Amino acid sequence: MVTRRDVGKLGVAAGLAGSTSFAARQAAAADAAQTAVDAAKQFSGQTISIVWEAGLQALDPLNFSGPKWKELTGIDVKVVEVSTAEMFTKIMQDYKSGAGAYDALNVIPSWMPDLVNAGALEDLDPYVEKYGFREELQKIASTYRDNQMMVNGKIYGFPDDGDVFVMYFRKDIFADPAVQAAFKEKTGKDLAVPTTWAEFDATGPVLTEILKDKGTYGAGFFRQPPYTMFMFQERFRNEGGKFFDPDTMKATINSDVGVKVLTDMRAENAWMPPGVEQWGFVENLAAFLQGQTAMTISWPPYGRWAAGYGTDQEVLSWVPKSTIAGKVGYAMPPGGHPELAAGFCLSVASTSKNKEAAYLFIQWLNSEAISLQRVQLPYALRDPFRDSHFTSAEYLSRWPDAKDYLAALQAGATNGLLDLSVLQTDKYEEALRQMISKLWAGDDPKAIADAAAADWDAITDKIGVDKQKAVYGAWASKSGAYPKM
Amino acid sequence: MPAIAAHHQPDRNFKYWIIAPAIFLLLAVGLFPLIYSLVVSFMRIDMMDTDTSFAGLYNYKQLFKDLRLWQSLLHTLIITAVALPLELLFGLAMAYLFLEKMPGRQIFVSLLVLPTIISPIVAGATWRLLLDNQYGPINQILGWFAGHRVNLLWTINPFLVYPAIIFCEIWQWTPFMFLILLAALSNVDKSQTEAAEIDGASFIRTFRYIVLPAIWPVMAIAILIRGLDLFRIFDIIWALTMGGPGTMTETISIYTYTMGFKQFETSYTAAIAFLVIAILTVVVTWAIRRMGLAK
Repeated sequence: MVTRRDVGKLGVAAGLAGSTSFAARQAAAADAAQTAVDAAKQFSGQTISIVWEAGLQALDPLNFSGPKWKELTGIDVKVVEVSTAEMFTKIMQDYKSGAGAYDALNVIPSWMPDLVNAGALEDLDPYVEKYGFREELQKIASTYRDNQMMVNGKIYGFPDDGDVFVMYFRKDIFADPAVQAAFKEKTGKDLAVPTTWAEFDATGPVLTEILKDKGTYGAGFFRQPPYTMFMFQERFRNEGGKFFDPDTMKATINSDVGVKVLTDMRAENAWMPPGVEQWGFVENLAAFLQGQTAMTISWPPYGRWAAGYGTDQEVLSWVPKSTIAGKVGYAMPPGGHPELAAGFCLSVASTSKNKEAAYLFIQWLNSEAISLQRVQLPYALRDPFRDSHFTSAEYLSRWPDAKDYLAALQAGATNGLLDLSVLQTDKYEEALRQMISKLWAGDDPKAIADAAAADWDAITDKIGVDKQKAVYGAWASKSGAYPKM
Repeated sequence: MPAIAAHHQPDRNFKYWIIAPAIFLLLAVGLFPLIYSLVVSFMRIDMMDTDTSFAGLYNYKQLFKDLRLWQSLLHTLIITAVALPLELLFGLAMAYLFLEKMPGRQIFVSLLVLPTIISPIVAGATWRLLLDNQYGPINQILGWFAGHRVNLLWTINPFLVYPAIIFCEIWQWTPFMFLILLAALSNVDKSQTEAAEIDGASFIRTFRYIVLPAIWPVMAIAILIRGLDLFRIFDIIWALTMGGPGTMTETISIYTYTMGFKQFETSYTAAIAFLVIAILTVVVTWAIRRMGLAK
C-alpha cells in the first residue's frame, strides 16, 4: 500500500532526479565542501539538529564544525548530545513517535540494518547524486566505505570515524637489552611484539614476571563487558570462529574456538594488573599512560594521547599525563585483523523537516577538506577514515611517530573486521555482554558460551530464521566480515 | 423559596467546572496511558513490526516462559526482603538514639538526612567509584586493616555484589526511616512509658506493648513506602552493576527498561508492566489489610 509518506518520498525523489544531471555535473567539478556550502546558503536562518555522542565527541560540532557551518551558510546547528548507550533508543523513539526532532544523526554502522528496516534513515543516494559527492565518497578507506555505508545497495550513512582497535606497545621495553636477555633466558625465544594470540599469551606473563618489580605488567585491557564484547568478536574471528552456521542460522559462538577464547581471556587476567576485570576505557588508558602496562589494545585516541598530542588542552585535562611519550609503538592486534569496534556514520533522519539542509551539513562534515581538519582536532575523538587522512603531510608532522601511528590505522582500515550487524544486533550484543560479565564472575566458559548461543538461537527464532539468514548472508559476504584465512 | 433556589443553581454547577480541568488532566496523564498500555499489551508491536492487530494473550503467555523475567522478580524480592528490615531496624535504632535531647542534635539529624536528598543514580555512581578496585578508598581502607593490598571486585564477584548493592541502598534510605520513626517516637505519650518504667517493665516489653502500638500506623506507612520503592529499585543497581554480573542483579525495573527501551519489545513490555501492577495490587492490598491501615 502506498502511503502519503511514500508519495512524499516519490515527489522528493523525482524532484531530485530532475535536477540531478545539471547540478551533478556542476557539483562534481567543485570541491564537495564548497558545493555543500553554496547550496546550503538558501537555508540561511534555519536551524538543523544533529544527534552526537555526548562528551568529547560532541566538541567537534559544538566548538568547531557547528560554528564554522553557521559562519559559512547562516544555518544554526543544534547539537543533541546523547550517551552512546542511549543513541539508538533516542533515534528510534524519535522515529516511532514521528516527532522529527532530529535532522541529522550519528549512527553506529552495526545499527544501520535495524534503523533502515524500521524506516528511520533517509536514502542518501539522490542527494549524493545531486550534489556530486560520489567521487569523494570513493576516497573513504575501503573497509569503511565498502562495509559501513550501504544497506540493501543504497547509501544510508557516510562513514565518518575510523574507529579500529590498535595494539599499543612500549618500544623501549621491547628494545631493552636487559628485558630481551631475561626473556630469552626464561623462554629460550627472542622477545618480539606478538602477532598471534598464542604468542601474546606466551609473551605477556613473562613480561609481567620480568617487569612486575618495577610496577609494570605485561599487558592490560579494558575488561568491562561493552568493550570486551568487541574484543571477543575480534579474537573469535581471528582464531577462526564464525558467528552462525550459514545454512541453519544456529549460533556457533559456543564452538571450541569460542570456548578457547573465553578460557584464554580469563586466564590472562591472572598476569594482568589486579582488578583488570573492572577496567573501562579510562582505567586502561591511565594504566598505559602511567607506564603500568607494556601492551594494550584500544581505539586510536590512545595513540595520540600517549604521544601527548593535544593533552595540554583544558578539555583533556582529565587525561593522565603521559609518561611514555616517544616510547610507544603501534601494531595490529594479534591475529592481524582488528575490530572496527563501533565507529560512526553520518545519516539523515527520515522524519526530518530539513532533510536537504541536514544532508548538506553532513556532506560538508564528511568532505575531504573538512574531515581532514576534524580528525586532527585533538579533543574530538574522530579518527582518520579517508585515504588522504593517512597521508596528510600536516597530520604526519603532528608528533615524531605520527607516521607509524597513521600507518597502523591505515593497515587497520584495510584489514579491519566489521562488528556483527544483523537484525536486532543489540540483542545479540547484549547476550555477548552478559557472557563476558559471567566470565569475569567465574562461571564455566563452556556453560556461558552455550547459554549465549542458546540466547542467540532464541533471538533468531523470534526474528525469523529466513529473514535473519538473508541479512546475515549479506553481512557475511562483505569484505570485512571474516578474515581471509 | 423556589426563586432563590433557581438563582443559586448556576453556582452549584460552577464548582464542577472548576475541578473539571484537574479531573481531565488526571485522566489524561493517568488513566489514558494505563488503558493505552493495556491495549498495546494485546498487540505485537516491537522494533521491527508495528502489528496493531489483536494478538490475544500471546504476550501474557510469553511471560510464563520467560525465565529471565522471573529471575529478575526473584532478585527484586531478595533485595527487598534483606534491605527493608535492615533499614527499619537501623532507622529505629537511630531514631531512639536521637530521641533524647543532646548537644548538636539538629546538626547531626541534618547530616544524617543528606543521603536521601542525593539522586539515587548519583549515589550509585559515587559508590561505584568508592568500591572501585583500582582507585576506590574502600579496598584501600580494608587493606590498612588487612596489612596487605585488598583486591575485592565488589561489582563483579558474585559473592560481593549483593552485599555491595544492599549496603548502598541501606546507606541511602535508612535516614528516611529514621526521620519518619523519629517523628513517630516523638509523639509517643511519655507518661505511659515512664509509668511502665516505674512499674519495672523491661525496655522490650515497654516497646512491644506501649511504643510499637503508638508508632505502628506511621511505621506501617514507612514500610509500605520503602517496600514499594525497593520493588522498583533501578538507579543504584544500574549505576553499580547494570544488572550484572550477567543478569545476577537484574531487577524487574531493569528488565522492563531493557525490554522496552533497549530492545523495543513494546507490547511485551506492556504485558510485563501489567504483571507488575497485578502483583503489586495483590501485595499492597494484603499489606494494607494486614497492617490494619484500612481502618
